Amino acid sequence: MFQDLLNTPLSTVVLITGFILVLIGLWGMLMHKNIIRIIVGFTLMDTGIHMVMVAIGYLTGGKAPIIEGANKNIVYVDPVPSALVLTSIVIGLGITAIMLSYAIQIHKAKKSLSIDDCAEMKW
Amino acid sequence: MLKKFFAALALFIVAIMFYDIASNYQERQQLSGVAQYYVEKGPSELGAANLVTSVVVTYRGLDTLGEVTVLFISAAGIGLLLRRQRDDKDPSPQKDNAPCSEIVDTAFHLLFPMILLFGIYIFVNGHLTPGGGFQGGAVIASGMMLYLLAKPNNTFNLQLLKKIESFSGSAYVLIGALGLFLAGGFLDNRVLSLGEFGSLFSAGLIPVIYVLIGLKVGAELSSVLTKFRDS
Amino acid sequence: MVNSLTNPLNIIIITLLSSFLLPLIYQKSEQRAVNLFFAVLAAFVVISLSGYLQLLSGLPTIEVLTAGIEPPFSINLRFGIEEAFVTLAINVAALLGAWYLLPHLKTNAPLMLLFLIWIMGMNGMVMTRDLFNLFIFVEITAISTFVLIGFNRHNETLSAGFKYILAGSLASSFLLLGTMLLYFQTGTLNIDDLVAHQSLLTGPIGTAGLVLIMTAILIELKPYPANGWGLDVYQAAPTGVSALISVGVSASYLFALYKLLPLFDTLLPLIAIAGGLTFVMSNFMGLKQNQATRLLGYSSVGQVGLLVMALALLSQTNQADHYLLIAGGLFINHFLAKAGLFWLAGLAAEKDIKHWSHLKQHPVIFVLFVVLLAALAGLPPFPAFWAKWALVHTLVESQHYIWVGCILLGSLLEAVYLFRWYGYAKSKTNETAIVCQARQTFPIKLMVALLLLCGHAMAINFGLQPERVLLPVYAALAMLLLHKQPSYTKALVTLLITGIFTLQVLPTLTGLSWIFGMIFLVGSWVLTIGSLYKGTEQRPSYYPLLVMLILSLGSLLLATTTLEFFLAWEFMTVSSYLMVSLGKNAEKSSLQYLAFSLAGAFFILAGFALAYSETHSMQLSSFAQLAEHTVMIITLLLFGFLIKLGGLGVHVWLPGVYTDTDDDFTAIMSSIVSKAGLFGLFAVGIHITTQFNDIEALMFVLGWFGLVMALAGALMAVFQEDVKKLLAYSSVGQMGYIITGFALTSHMGWVASMYLAVNHVLYKGLIFLAIAGVLYRTNTRLMYKMGGLIKNMPISFVSVMIGIIAISGVPPLLGFGGKWMMYNALVEKGWYLQTAMAFFASAVAFLYLFRLIHTVFLGQQKTEHADIKEAPITLLIPQVFIMVIILAFSMFPHVLIEPLSTAISPYIASTITWTGHLLETKQGYWNGFMVMNVVAGIFLVPLFILWMLSKVTNIQPVKQFNIVFAAERPESPETTHYAYNFYAFYEKALGFLVKPNAIHFWDASAEWAHSFGAALRRFYTGNGQTYMAIILMYLGIIYLSMRAI
Repeated sequence: MFQDLLNTPLSTVVLITGFILVLIGLWGMLMHKNIIRIIVGFTLMDTGIHMVMVAIGYLTGGKAPIIEGANKNIVYVDPVPSALVLTSIVIGLGITAIMLSYAIQIHKAKKSLSIDDCAEMKW
Repeated sequence: MLKKFFAALALFIVAIMFYDIASNYQERQQLSGVAQYYVEKGPSELGAANLVTSVVVTYRGLDTLGEVTVLFISAAGIGLLLRRQRDDKDPSPQKDNAPCSEIVDTAFHLLFPMILLFGIYIFVNGHLTPGGGFQGGAVIASGMMLYLLAKPNNTFNLQLLKKIESFSGSAYVLIGALGLFLAGGFLDNRVLSLGEFGSLFSAGLIPVIYVLIGLKVGAELSSVLTKFRDS
Repeated sequence: MVNSLTNPLNIIIITLLSSFLLPLIYQKSEQRAVNLFFAVLAAFVVISLSGYLQLLSGLPTIEVLTAGIEPPFSINLRFGIEEAFVTLAINVAALLGAWYLLPHLKTNAPLMLLFLIWIMGMNGMVMTRDLFNLFIFVEITAISTFVLIGFNRHNETLSAGFKYILAGSLASSFLLLGTMLLYFQTGTLNIDDLVAHQSLLTGPIGTAGLVLIMTAILIELKPYPANGWGLDVYQAAPTGVSALISVGVSASYLFALYKLLPLFDTLLPLIAIAGGLTFVMSNFMGLKQNQATRLLGYSSVGQVGLLVMALALLSQTNQADHYLLIAGGLFINHFLAKAGLFWLAGLAAEKDIKHWSHLKQHPVIFVLFVVLLAALAGLPPFPAFWAKWALVHTLVESQHYIWVGCILLGSLLEAVYLFRWYGYAKSKTNETAIVCQARQTFPIKLMVALLLLCGHAMAINFGLQPERVLLPVYAALAMLLLHKQPSYTKALVTLLITGIFTLQVLPTLTGLSWIFGMIFLVGSWVLTIGSLYKGTEQRPSYYPLLVMLILSLGSLLLATTTLEFFLAWEFMTVSSYLMVSLGKNAEKSSLQYLAFSLAGAFFILAGFALAYSETHSMQLSSFAQLAEHTVMIITLLLFGFLIKLGGLGVHVWLPGVYTDTDDDFTAIMSSIVSKAGLFGLFAVGIHITTQFNDIEALMFVLGWFGLVMALAGALMAVFQEDVKKLLAYSSVGQMGYIITGFALTSHMGWVASMYLAVNHVLYKGLIFLAIAGVLYRTNTRLMYKMGGLIKNMPISFVSVMIGIIAISGVPPLLGFGGKWMMYNALVEKGWYLQTAMAFFASAVAFLYLFRLIHTVFLGQQKTEHADIKEAPITLLIPQVFIMVIILAFSMFPHVLIEPLSTAISPYIASTITWTGHLLETKQGYWNGFMVMNVVAGIFLVPLFILWMLSKVTNIQPVKQFNIVFAAERPESPETTHYAYNFYAFYEKALGFLVKPNAIHFWDASAEWAHSFGAALRRFYTGNGQTYMAIILMYLGIIYLSMRAI
């Protein structure tokens, strides 16, 4: 049992950590009233997804995919998730920035940062 | 209370899904189709040692162009959302911020040029070592952040930043379009010769594109920082 | 090819190049930046249009490879005919939308560049063939949307925008995670490659990946109940932005769903359920909504739901040939109409739809509004009509009956709330005027023109001649050009157009169609003359609609296929509805009429579709080959036609409609339009004569139904004070006999039925015209307020007298022949109990008829009516004309009966014979000519004697005020009038029979629908966190149900 845990591949650990981070982020988005905290929740969730992405591309014992020679025996990790995660990080940054500027404007307009004060429209 | 219970229930179901995924996850033993191709053919096809860079700049170049666009519209959007009201009482940004501590000031003078240089190094060598335009740009922006902290009453030359953004962005697109005429297609890096594998001037257009991206990202992130500070 | 200027890749290159430079150019010159902005948008249109035309001409699909490397190793874009069509639509809407939004956009360079990149993002979503690249374009579109929603920074837009960001970021996280899981399973991101490796997408990880991606796209398409945030955005965002979110953004997500569908094989039922649920539920909720933009939001959400459902169901049924036509038709219809309406809502600048009556002051905008509503409601000739026709047929064929029910129910609800809106716009005048220039209405006009164009193209696509089948609409639109002319001119042009049309159509008809042609075309022509008496009123839309109505009745006669029939039927429904709505205070009753008529039309549609699934032919004559579903089909069609006839139980629309419409139109409605249902019965009935045995039980029920209706109609008429209501219920009763005649399915029954129908046209037209004159002069509809009008209006009196004698079925007038034949036919069939019932009903009918002449024309005259004049001459001319015909038919019944008999005998063998004026059946004979002479003798001799007597005795007239109240002044004196509540004593005995049960039932149903809508929207608390929780739950439920499978 304990041995099993120790033998868990690194990627699985990262994957599970990523999922836990996503859940924590979602928890923050759903349970906290404060808009800034919701945004923090979002960034946590985003980071969690990025960890999952990286984990998916990992091969145990693989090297970073920077080719040094024509050696066929070297195992490289998958370069694609690394490339994708780069893109996702930038996009996450963009969304976070837009969210923050909304938060600033909402605070200016309503003098409040509670999500409950953004419910003037319903039905 | 009911709301919280409902939300918790929803989270629980998502957790079940994650549990299903994680418990069935078997790490791959070898590279999958596309990745295998990149590892085998990538270096000879595009001439870049860093495969992630080949993927980012060429194989999935359209993604990267989109990524640059996302950053660009985020910066533009922030400017739009945080723009000053015409009837704003306070015509100019506050100029009376408290000066920073001596430690920050000294560190700024020591580190600022090095950070900039490091950022440039990262994007210039993006095709050879870990790193690239975005990373380099982000490092440059962190230097700019330090500048803003150290000189709270100074502001950047936003005009200049805007020009750098516009210039590097359009140059990127134009260079990408060159590929349509001189090589296999849009964003093909083989417009220039691939050069000697592993040297600085190799991998065709990749370094050029990364330099442009680095400049653009650095300028954009810096202007975003200013906008947030001034709002 | 790849390097040509119209390469779709150029959309991306041009956008990015120009938007990177735009801020610099804007600093130099605002105008130059605006020019560049429009040049780029125009280039989008040119690129997608030229691509579309090239592909249409047969060139192969354009595949754009990036990086000069083959997919799946690089990202590729595809530009096939579908992509070209969708991007063309998006780009046209974008160009017009930019034109509309220009005053806002040009204040800020970033706004312009965001707009450009926004549109590019949508184009990219349509074109890309790479899953991760799709995610990038999703994000580009999403971020620009976030900013464009919030750019005016109002309280509401900020709230709505933030909720949108939360929902959107959840959805894109799902998409990202799902994409990665699929990559893990298959090692590729290319969509085509993924489809090729579909077998790898099994097991929990593959399933979770698919579920995540599908949910992400569904969430962006705003499924019920996870769409509260979307509705907030529609409501709060600037209308120009809402318009493009509703059409452009939704279009690109729909297309993304479409191209991923091959991956979602196992998920298709869930997708269909999600779409169907959204369509029905959002239309229920629309019933309760009074905010214009939010209402449009509900409608958008619903339409998109319908499209999602159609995509999923059609790809299950493998009906590839209909796929594009249906999806494309629904899509383009929603696209054009919704954009137009959002823009119009922006111009109207009035949030509450109850205050939309200011639209009336701007006739052009008003007409645009009505056309857009009609298009959105899926009425012909707009593309959605054709698409729904094909969709229902395809689904019925693949036995998706429940889905068909959903579609029809949802469409009905949607039409109801859209036209409720129209009703408000039509009602009392609002003082505030609309400030707008032609510049702003231009995009809306273009949308309407495109809608008509697409409808025209769809008609061609369905193998019809649009200039023939769509004639009613085009004629009505042409008539609208005359709106500044006086009413006389318009009436004369109407008579001219319908006259020419009649002369063209009538000679081509034979048999029953010819008889109905006489009723529909000649009848309405004569009654139209009556409308000249309102010569001084403007009536801008009365005559165009009248032309449409008459021409659509004509097209109904010409229809040989179910499609043509249904098309004409819908035209007739729409035009008569709009005409009803022209009456004062007709908002409620006209809406009721529309709801019932459309429900009827949908029954007919379902019946036709079921018949098609059996015979695979749209010919009406193919009904003869029905075997398996005959009873079901005939039941459905009966429902449809009976609603139009005002059948008992669904007659509730009828009194309201007859009372609230213009008096001259009531005559047309009652005597002509109600016969359309009868025509439907016969048009189908003549083809199924060989299957009469199969439907015998059904016809037995129908026979009883008709008689109950006859009795109930008569009873309800007895207790009416309102003269038009009285006549309305009288029509219900009369139609009852006609239906029973049809149900007999014997030669004599049908002849009797048709004969009564022709009679009904004559005497109801006559009485309504006469009453129109009375109402015109007295300005009241309550009978006890009239009295003694015989002196002032002798000709009208004679008209009514002839009319009621004809109705009541006593000799000598033609009604007698009808009743006589009816009893004969009933006895012949062996329906004795029914015969007794018919007798009883016709005795009751006499009560109200007596009242009509007694209370209105006889008795004491009211002082205020002392110097009333006879009705206007234009009303009298058609009356005299009809009276002459009635007398002629009464004297020479064979003139009428013989053609009827010969028209029917090809279908059912004749059982009546003629010798001279003598009509013989197995039960006896009737000689109309002799009866007439005898009766004339019986009546004329005593009349002559009475006249002689009046000369010799001294009769003193009593003045009105010879009556003295015994020191008491009643509060409402007219209730002491002896004519008030004339049949109170019968009410005690029979009143329980006429409790308005049907009205209560339908009111309760409407109430239920409204409260159901109110209950459904409880989910929409306005709280962003609740919305997120619902989205997560949505994902969870989809996942759990997939896990269970």
